[in-house]
Amino acid sequence: MAVGAGAVLVLVVLPLLSLVWGSLTSEGRLTLDHFREALGRRLYLQALWNSLVLGVWTAVLSIALGLPMAWAVGRTDVPAKRFVHVTAVVAYITPPYLTAIAFVNLFGPNAGLINRFVRETLGLPALTFNVFSMAGLVLVTVLHTFPFVYLLAASALESVDASMEESAQVLGAGRWRTAVLITAPLVAPAILSGALIAFVNAIALFGSQAIIGLPGRVYTLPTRIYALFDHPPQYGLASAMSLIFVLITVAALALQRRWLARRSYVTLGGKGSRQELVSLGPARWGVFAFCAAVFVLAVLAPYVTLFAVSLSKSWGLQFWQNLTFANYRFILFEYDVTRRAIWNSLLLASAAATTAVLLGSLIGWIDLRTTLRGRKLLDYASLIPLGLPGIVVAVALIQFWLRLPLPIYGTLVIILLAYTGRYIPLGVRAASAAFRQIDPSLEETARVTGAGWLRTFGAITLPLARPGLFAGWLLVFVPALQELSASILLFSSESITLAVAVYNLYETGYLEAVSALAIVTMVIITLAILVATRLGRGAAGLDRASVAH
Amino acid sequence: MASISLESVTKRYGAVTAVKDFTLEIADREFVTLLGPSGCGKTTLLRLIAGFSAPDAGTIRVGARVLSTPAGAVPPERRGMGMVFQNYAVWPHKTVYANVAFGLEIRRISRADARARVTRILESVNLAGLEDRYPNQLSGGQQQRVALARSLVVEPSILLLDEPLSNLDAKLRERMRWELKELQRRTGITFVYVTHDQSEAMALSDRIAVIHQGALQQHGRPREVYAQPANRTVADFMGLVNLVPGRVARASGDTSLVAVGGHRTLRVALPPSCREGQAVQIAIRPENVQLVAPVDGTEGDGVPAKVVEVTFLGNLTDCHVALDDGTRVRVQADAGASLEPGQRVRVRFDSQLCTIFHD
Repeated sequence: MAVGAGAVLVLVVLPLLSLVWGSLTSEGRLTLDHFREALGRRLYLQALWNSLVLGVWTAVLSIALGLPMAWAVGRTDVPAKRFVHVTAVVAYITPPYLTAIAFVNLFGPNAGLINRFVRETLGLPALTFNVFSMAGLVLVTVLHTFPFVYLLAASALESVDASMEESAQVLGAGRWRTAVLITAPLVAPAILSGALIAFVNAIALFGSQAIIGLPGRVYTLPTRIYALFDHPPQYGLASAMSLIFVLITVAALALQRRWLARRSYVTLGGKGSRQELVSLGPARWGVFAFCAAVFVLAVLAPYVTLFAVSLSKSWGLQFWQNLTFANYRFILFEYDVTRRAIWNSLLLASAAATTAVLLGSLIGWIDLRTTLRGRKLLDYASLIPLGLPGIVVAVALIQFWLRLPLPIYGTLVIILLAYTGRYIPLGVRAASAAFRQIDPSLEETARVTGAGWLRTFGAITLPLARPGLFAGWLLVFVPALQELSASILLFSSESITLAVAVYNLYETGYLEAVSALAIVTMVIITLAILVATRLGRGAAGLDRASVAH
Repeated sequence: MASISLESVTKRYGAVTAVKDFTLEIADREFVTLLGPSGCGKTTLLRLIAGFSAPDAGTIRVGARVLSTPAGAVPPERRGMGMVFQNYAVWPHKTVYANVAFGLEIRRISRADARARVTRILESVNLAGLEDRYPNQLSGGQQQRVALARSLVVEPSILLLDEPLSNLDAKLRERMRWELKELQRRTGITFVYVTHDQSEAMALSDRIAVIHQGALQQHGRPREVYAQPANRTVADFMGLVNLVPGRVARASGDTSLVAVGGHRTLRVALPPSCREGQAVQIAIRPENVQLVAPVDGTEGDGVPAKVVEVTFLGNLTDCHVALDDGTRVRVQADAGASLEPGQRVRVRFDSQLCTIFHD
């Protein structure tokens, strides 16, 4: 209990408190000046407004992309369902700053390949699209966030029992009326909840907002907060803006919680029975084309573009005439940042995932299996970071640790604290879910047989929970490997991470090299996921076998 | 006329034949139960009648109207039937009132009219006063009544019920049985009822159709199906039954003799196809076996046996005896019978209540 509480205190509660303190004080005096400035100056209000516009559009368009795909996969005879599903998963895993860089290469106002093709080859300058705009930012963001709606809507559609709809049909309602009067209200909470998660995620993404927003003068909360750390850093104002940011996020998440809690009919029942799929006839090819278009935009275009740019001497309409590996040579052997960044990111992601899952197990176990006082509070506190955008976590940690004599600022340690703090809710949730599956009598049997608490936890609880805990580990590892929003404020040249290396190189304008580094990043992420799942699947298989015996 | 006729209906799912060449006539106002173990095809049949799928062969008619053929099926929404599902399928986002009124809205019944009809039907299923509740505020039994009311309010001529009582606790199930039976009598709706519970089937039905592996095994009134099962599957499914091995000693119709438990013979009615010396099985229910003390019987009266196990069940005594050749026979004796394991007894089979099966 003491360990769990201490960890949550240091990782989450104290930094957050010092954020609040920092926003309310100036040179030791209590003041509201920072909030007055944040909410009074056009500069900052514009950023707030832009963040909201970005979030709302992203949420709406996430439904527009995610819902038809979920419906197609769950309810119709659309071909290649596996492909549609994989599209959503890959789109989710792809770091949005890589998509942003790819789209800059395609739709940059001057040098963007497609823009040049439209303007120079087709001679239709009116049809060019400037990615450095709110529209461009929304486009890039939604390609990363639509999977939230897709996944939630798909599982909701799957868990609506067919008899709900069949009852309506028997009573005389045709397919269309059944869909509108019965199915839609039943899955609406899940869809809206997915859209709200998309909203929260969208406004927190620093990378895409910096890469696309800054050149287009579309400033948002994360980029404004980031800018406050330039010149003489303005900690107070940054803290105040961070808190306003948190308020928006928390409001959205609270709304989502309430929705789900009060109006969710489908998450409880599990998988419903279903026999007949909607036969679309020739229309299924139209639906398939829609899904394929999403694949092209969200997966094919970014990867092919980055790959092509990384192989070209200079990016342009005739890039394929002189291909080269020079960019890779530069990135891998001459640019000494790369290896350090790869090593740092792998180290940080593994350490953060392990710490988050261990702490999560402890907190989850305390909540589920003990009657210690304050366990609910601990569980709640560990979920706070869900409402904290990455950059806010960074600001809070800076505020907190700069007050202490420990010199961890600029080291890997502070980044590890940031990652662990950010992702601890994932660890807690995975662990709680895993422990909930284990009947307490299995542990009690071990205790009665004479095993102590620690022995029981190690020999019974942990092995049984391992598949679930491993899933949680991966859930932390993957985003930590590509983390940018918090790292960007915390890194030093020694503790640079992969994503920061990509962003810094991008800032120098060396697009060919940055694309090579982006491809290298994706290869590393893919390899790491493959290795981790291979290892984890072995363990999970073993566990299942031993449970069966 | 809401009679239903199923003619040689076959339904396949991939390599599995769920329903095989199934023929059954259900009369108007009849209460027919499709009875069988899970996976026997009874629910598939019900869904074929409802129109959720079309048969691969055969025809389904209601009255004179052809509803389903392999070429196509009238969709469920245009069949005007009612259906009650095992999980009730009460819509959780609608109140009790809105659930029940749904079918009337679809039929464009005027608001006032609908209100009157919903009120009436809710009263008849004892749900008056709960109109504004949501399903999660109702007990399982109440949800079941909502599902019933929702189906009945549109006054269907046929009601399909898919194991509607199986999620209720034993006491409530008992009461709902009675209510369902009463309801069917009052409304005159044709009921097609699916269950795997033979006692439920017997309590409710005018006729039972026993189904096994997609094929109709026997259909008839509950008493017939219970007392004169057509084959071992039906006998086994309709309750406890002893299958005692024997050999035909004399084959001559109603006065044939069958040897059981060594050399004792039993006078029974044999099916005409049996020959002397053939191995047969005698099916007899435990309540139709009598135990008598060995002293008051003469030689030949009953088969000698030894008591193996005695279990007192309150209203009766459940007893296992072993014949001399080792065959175990289960007997339901009086609650007051004084029986001890090891005791010698004689077993008397009532030949009127025996059914003979042979391979």
